[in-house]
Amino acid sequence: MASPDGNHRHPETNGEAKPPAPKKQKLSTSITDSEIQSEFSHHDASVARINNGSFGSCPQSIISAQQRWQLRFLRQPDSFYFNDLKAGILESREFIRSLINADDVSEVSIVDNATTAAAVVLQQIAWGFTEGRFQKGDVAVMLHYAYGAVKKSMEAYVTRAGGRVVEVQLPFPVSSKEEIITEFRRALERGKENGQRIRLAVIDHVTSMPSVVIPVKELVKICREEDVDQVFVDAAHGIGCVDVDVKEIGADFYTSNLHKWFFSPPSVAFLYCRRSAKLSDLHHPVVSHEYGNGLAIESAWIGTRDYSAQLVVPSVLEFVNRFEGGIEGIKKRNHEQVVRMGEMLAKSWGTQLGCPPDMCSSMVMIGLPWCLGITSERDTLKLRVHLRDRFAVEVPIYYRAPKEGEVDPVTGYARISHQVYNKVEDYERFRDAINKLVGDKFTCASLSA
Amino acid sequence: MAGDDPRNGGSSHGHSNHRHVAKKPKLSQSISESEIRAEFSHHAEGVARINNGSFGSCPASVQSAHRDWQLRFLRQPDEFYFNILKDGILRSRTLIKALINADDVEEVSLVDNATTAAAIVLQQVSRGFAESRFKPGDTVVMLHCAFQAVKKSIQAYVTPAGGSVIEVELPFPVSSKEEIIDAFKLGLDRGKRDGRTVRLAIIDHITSMPSVLLPVKDLVRVCREEGVERVFVDAAHAIGSVNVDVKEIGADFYVSNLHKWFFCPPSVAFLYCRKVDFSNDMHHPVVSHEYGNGLPIESAWIGTRDYSSQLVVPSAVEFVERFEGGVEGIMRWNHEEVVKMGKMLVESWGTNLGSPQEMCASMIMVGLPSRLLISSTEDASKLRSYIREHHGVEVPIHYQAPKEEGEGPRDKDGGRITGYARISHQVYNTAEDYYKFRDAVTELVEKNFTCRLIL
Repeated sequence: MASPDGNHRHPETNGEAKPPAPKKQKLSTSITDSEIQSEFSHHDASVARINNGSFGSCPQSIISAQQRWQLRFLRQPDSFYFNDLKAGILESREFIRSLINADDVSEVSIVDNATTAAAVVLQQIAWGFTEGRFQKGDVAVMLHYAYGAVKKSMEAYVTRAGGRVVEVQLPFPVSSKEEIITEFRRALERGKENGQRIRLAVIDHVTSMPSVVIPVKELVKICREEDVDQVFVDAAHGIGCVDVDVKEIGADFYTSNLHKWFFSPPSVAFLYCRRSAKLSDLHHPVVSHEYGNGLAIESAWIGTRDYSAQLVVPSVLEFVNRFEGGIEGIKKRNHEQVVRMGEMLAKSWGTQLGCPPDMCSSMVMIGLPWCLGITSERDTLKLRVHLRDRFAVEVPIYYRAPKEGEVDPVTGYARISHQVYNKVEDYERFRDAINKLVGDKFTCASLSA
Repeated sequence: MAGDDPRNGGSSHGHSNHRHVAKKPKLSQSISESEIRAEFSHHAEGVARINNGSFGSCPASVQSAHRDWQLRFLRQPDEFYFNILKDGILRSRTLIKALINADDVEEVSLVDNATTAAAIVLQQVSRGFAESRFKPGDTVVMLHCAFQAVKKSIQAYVTPAGGSVIEVELPFPVSSKEEIIDAFKLGLDRGKRDGRTVRLAIIDHITSMPSVLLPVKDLVRVCREEGVERVFVDAAHAIGSVNVDVKEIGADFYVSNLHKWFFCPPSVAFLYCRKVDFSNDMHHPVVSHEYGNGLPIESAWIGTRDYSSQLVVPSAVEFVERFEGGVEGIMRWNHEEVVKMGKMLVESWGTNLGSPQEMCASMIMVGLPSRLLISSTEDASKLRSYIREHHGVEVPIHYQAPKEEGEGPRDKDGGRITGYARISHQVYNTAEDYYKFRDAVTELVEKNFTCRLIL
């Protein structure tokens, strides 16, 4: 069960003096280093794969479990559909409910990914405008660093239906959560400027690029104070990366991908929808005969497809519990290690982290040496390809436009991830690659278009 | 690829329904019977699987190619996304364009299934109403037997946006395509009453339950004559069971699932959208950063997912070409066998087929004995489960409510035929599958079994 500070809660004994909290014994069955390597032996061994954040990873034992589900369907699909599928999806939803501390399994729907969840939430906003429940010009707020798909979804579903979108300008690099909170308040004020209602706030839990952990609990509280109709937390990177307690966070909608940081195969995500009158307005955009039976049931059947990634969740939990401390232990170690590696890189290159350690999760942004001459987003893509092709390092790079008057501005930040399969050598290779480029007086301008 | 299939409608020349196709020489590498068995050896033993229509089937070699694609992604996903995925999707789309005789690969998008395609088309209609391009009350016409997901999609997207819906009832059992065309014309007339515009007509190419191959070319022509703005053909079952020539058929939108009759793993379908001069305003409902780049590009990236069923289409084409006559050969074989087996069953039970053989492809509706007393949809469903559990036969059953007193087909016992089984034939089926079904039903009748006995 997730608790905000990430510590295990220990049951209290009755009456007598409590014995010291038992130290969780290192189980002889804890997964070993070589077992971990074996579980991820299908990864391209030549690549320093320090980008778990983009596409996640899936251990071999889960791949096998998924293939077994796929075969079960292919073996006798009718029987599978009538007798196995619904129960399997329900079991996965119940596991997730427990993981995220939702009250009721009816609040948990399984969808392909956060992108799909955004379509679900934003579509009902669009109907609000179409059906005249919202006025033209009513507002939806999102972060400037919202994921590209979410921005486009806002365009497709909100702007097109007559809503106005307000972006929260977030500083980057950032040094405290207060900076974020201040900007957020400003954006809400802008939203309410013309006496309009803010119908929805979309808040990332962990932004994608640049990656920063957002103080969602505080922001949700502010939304309630400021009379925002609905709050949607886009936590694509949430589960397995930061603590997810949906009741604590208090949003109306919360989505997270399990294939990013929770070892599931592509692709499976949950969309949590707090029980309320509005729950019945939510629909999966792909409409099947289950339409009207509730989002969770609708999402569990959107036509003939491969649902095996959704069915494999219980196996994923088993995998995660092979690690010392389970998912909590994994999160803690990933965070500690990525910060350590980030600081190692920053020291070596003479740069900085993009945010303080307590505002990052299993990913961290590190400034790249200014002399690399990263002058545009295109440059970051070219550099990324160069790092992949020449040094076999896989890492995404973010372009940060310099502010006026900045001297030798740091305009490029690499987003490094740490997941259980990573080794120190991965980051050392990256360190050395950049140092080599700097030593060779390399600039992005030298890369062909 | 596309030969004119008279069963799709169009002018009839009175010629035989067996098109003369040059017989492909039997290649020494033609797939053998035992190879076919091996390819489908993962199918559950002891089940007479005569329902390919519902969920399709996927041979082992295509599954293996599918797993290869999945592993390629997992091995190095970033590289896969940047360097491999788009080309792979384009390759699949290009193959499909050739299969269906589309003009331009830009007309071909890959989506999960026909259900998703319906959402795409109907969302566009919804926007037409919401943005006042359509008048409130303008119509969408669909068939009464349209797939339930399509009906619900209309309920979700058309009605709340202000559109009205007309359901056209088609006769069943049916004896000629003229009955279909006449019924459809009547339905269209209703749609246009009071000066309303029919914004969209949704026509099945092969209906699901009860299953009939419709003269879709004729129906599209009627739509054009009657001023229907756009026509969407839901051909979930078509590719791999009838010839699909989208230009001949002439619809604006045409969707078919490749995992039903074209040996792809679940799930992959193509949505054909006839090229137009203006922006066709077709969007995938799941919006990614590719929004606005055209439906084929939008559909090729709807967030991180497993796209391997879409990427494996070339392997399915390879598989199909191992058969004598390729997909044409398979379609002809399936059709001949399912008709033969259907006739065998109705003869054995003293019942009738639901349609003439030229109005079916790889599936046919077979009347069930009246003595089974199938008197509701629930009965049909319960009987199906019963036959699965007690007789090891997988076959969907349709309840056809009798129209009027005294009307309707009767079986050899003089009772009303109210239940029809939809049998499918795919390359893995053998005559034994249908004998098993024949014997199961015969046994039930002899035991005086009725649906009332099933709890």
